[in-house]
Amino acid sequence: MKFIMKIPFHITLLVGKAVANIAKLVDKKRGTNISGKIATALCNDFVKHFKNIDFSKVIMVTGTNGKSTTTNLIAHTIKQSNRKTATNGEGANMMGGVATTLIKNSTLTGKFNKEFLVLEIDERSLPSIYKVLPAKNLVITNLQKDQVQRNGDPDFIYRKFAEVINKDIVLFLNNEEPRSKGLEDKAGQVIYFSVNKNDESFNKSNFYDITMPCPKCNHIIKYEYFNLESIGKFYCTNCNYSSEEKPDIYVSNIDSEGNKIICNNETYSITYNTPFYIYNYAATVSVSKKIGLTEEEINQGFKTFVNPGERREILKYKDKVIHYLRMKQENPETLQSALDTVAKDKTEKAIFIGLYEVKDFLPYYSNTFYFYDCNFKDIANTPVEKYIVFSKTVCYDTANRIIYDGADPSKIEIYDYEEDISVILKKMDDIKTKNIYILTGMKPYSNIKNFLAEEEKANG
Amino acid sequence: MDKVVINLVWLYPDILNLHGERGSVQAFQRVCENLGITINIKRVNEYSEKIDFKNTDIIFCPPGELKVIYDIKEAISKQMDELKEYIDARKYFITIGTTGCLLAKETIRENGEKIEGLGIFDMTCKERKTVIGDDLHFVIEKTKQEIIGSQIQMIDYELNNQEPLGTIIYGYGNNNTSKEGARVKNVIFTNCLGPVFVKNPWWAENIVMNVALNKMNIYNENEYELENKSFTSTKKFIKEKPKQI
Repeated sequence: MKFIMKIPFHITLLVGKAVANIAKLVDKKRGTNISGKIATALCNDFVKHFKNIDFSKVIMVTGTNGKSTTTNLIAHTIKQSNRKTATNGEGANMMGGVATTLIKNSTLTGKFNKEFLVLEIDERSLPSIYKVLPAKNLVITNLQKDQVQRNGDPDFIYRKFAEVINKDIVLFLNNEEPRSKGLEDKAGQVIYFSVNKNDESFNKSNFYDITMPCPKCNHIIKYEYFNLESIGKFYCTNCNYSSEEKPDIYVSNIDSEGNKIICNNETYSITYNTPFYIYNYAATVSVSKKIGLTEEEINQGFKTFVNPGERREILKYKDKVIHYLRMKQENPETLQSALDTVAKDKTEKAIFIGLYEVKDFLPYYSNTFYFYDCNFKDIANTPVEKYIVFSKTVCYDTANRIIYDGADPSKIEIYDYEEDISVILKKMDDIKTKNIYILTGMKPYSNIKNFLAEEEKANG
Repeated sequence: MDKVVINLVWLYPDILNLHGERGSVQAFQRVCENLGITINIKRVNEYSEKIDFKNTDIIFCPPGELKVIYDIKEAISKQMDELKEYIDARKYFITIGTTGCLLAKETIRENGEKIEGLGIFDMTCKERKTVIGDDLHFVIEKTKQEIIGSQIQMIDYELNNQEPLGTIIYGYGNNNTSKEGARVKNVIFTNCLGPVFVKNPWWAENIVMNVALNKMNIYNENEYELENKSFTSTKKFIKEKPKQI
């Protein structure tokens, strides 16, 4: 029976390799996981059949936000230390993407030909992928509200993670994120990564501010301070659950101007210095130390790391400077992070906001409620010349959200358009300020970028 | 005449923290301000805090994770007699999304575990294996108001001998039948998110006006009972009559 099972795997593997090569020839940018998708459709438990994988050197990275960046950073750092490493860093984080990574990094007989395997894993796919690839290292960046049409609420994903975690796993957890830290009792070993209170930390004391239920006893989680939205030093008001006082990996100091962090008394040079990135660096230090990298090797990785999926971009258009802040739909934390960035700019500005209906899969729907998991108040308290609100269907809800948090309605213009970006962007010429922010998803932003490029070309 | 003051209790805001429904509390505040009515909003944060049913007009219960429903039920059960009096006085108790389970007889979780509810509604709930996210459009039976928003359905609600809140125009509602939500007197459950009272301020306005008029003793909520029944029976007659050739 075993012999019979091996035949389809090897044939499937050859088919997968052929498809991967063809896909590469046809279009280098596309076909990320097509070979893996075909292979997993052809062969049951395809991933399970690969040989020569040392599971103690397989690192899975999952969580709501930051998993792509953390995966890329860990893989890059290990690679820089001259250890052969495979990764699905292109964001293909479901079974097909994992299968593709193994197809590309194995011999014709199915022997994995690298030392380390670093994988970004979609939260919902973790149980099925772990079943065929029992990694001994699992990083959970955080567990927050996200993609409710698929995930429902965070506890739905918490239960998916809980299915997987066992005493054979080393779990790397964010010491300041209450929900994912709640999984600590289930693992064999836990390594906590942590970031100290810093210049960007903040408190919340408004009447409408809310926190979350304790993952262990369902009472209230309170924060001594926040480093990010819903991430900060916390404690439960009922049980003794809290952030660890002595985390294993601790960023004690952030030198934003010098682009350096001090972590466990060692100094690392970094490229990105926003609070969100500091957690990604801390997670990477925790994994790197565990697998035996030296401080010099980690530093080398950090110094040379460039994030291919950076969420911020600066464009120039005529005399305007456009700051683009990418956000993920139905993900309050990325929207809040973008809003916080804008609010830090205390100078006059114009803000273009394009929050769209959700069209990831059928049925499409008009989720407007996650806007209310975010605060727009801090933006409304800064000088804003104009708010340009655009998108089909939910633009009115977006405008209403801003007004609810104190924006002057006379400063808001609403454009009920989806495709005709030109009408919206012509506004840019009418605006006096040169300081423009655009908050929207990737697709509308691409349309905007293309339009601006064509305009620039036409204008010489 | 004394100025009307409405007291709203926002129940367990940190524990029932889903889907931005805190916005609905803001909507009540805005509607009251627009109507020139004073509103006092009180957060009841901890399970151990007593709810002042006597001096409350509207209790708002946002959606939360299903795992917290048992603790909430245990907390409120300690004031069950006061809750019954509150309901009989036709005061408002509003639950959104998953928190509907609190008012049901029982909820069966995906793993088979049963959670007992307060039993205000003759309704049973079953946790779904998959999530349904879609728009939701329905009409409230009692007021004929159209309500629009969306829903994230993690639980199917089965109404037994229980009046629904409304009839579906588009969407999944309780369990993909034509029924949306549930209602006993002014105890209301809806699946609708938005936040629901931000997207539908006319509904919040209707509730606030009812509370205000009742407080002023100049409005009988059952005043249009016969007209309401007439509306329903005429609608049924129109729907069922033979088509003209």
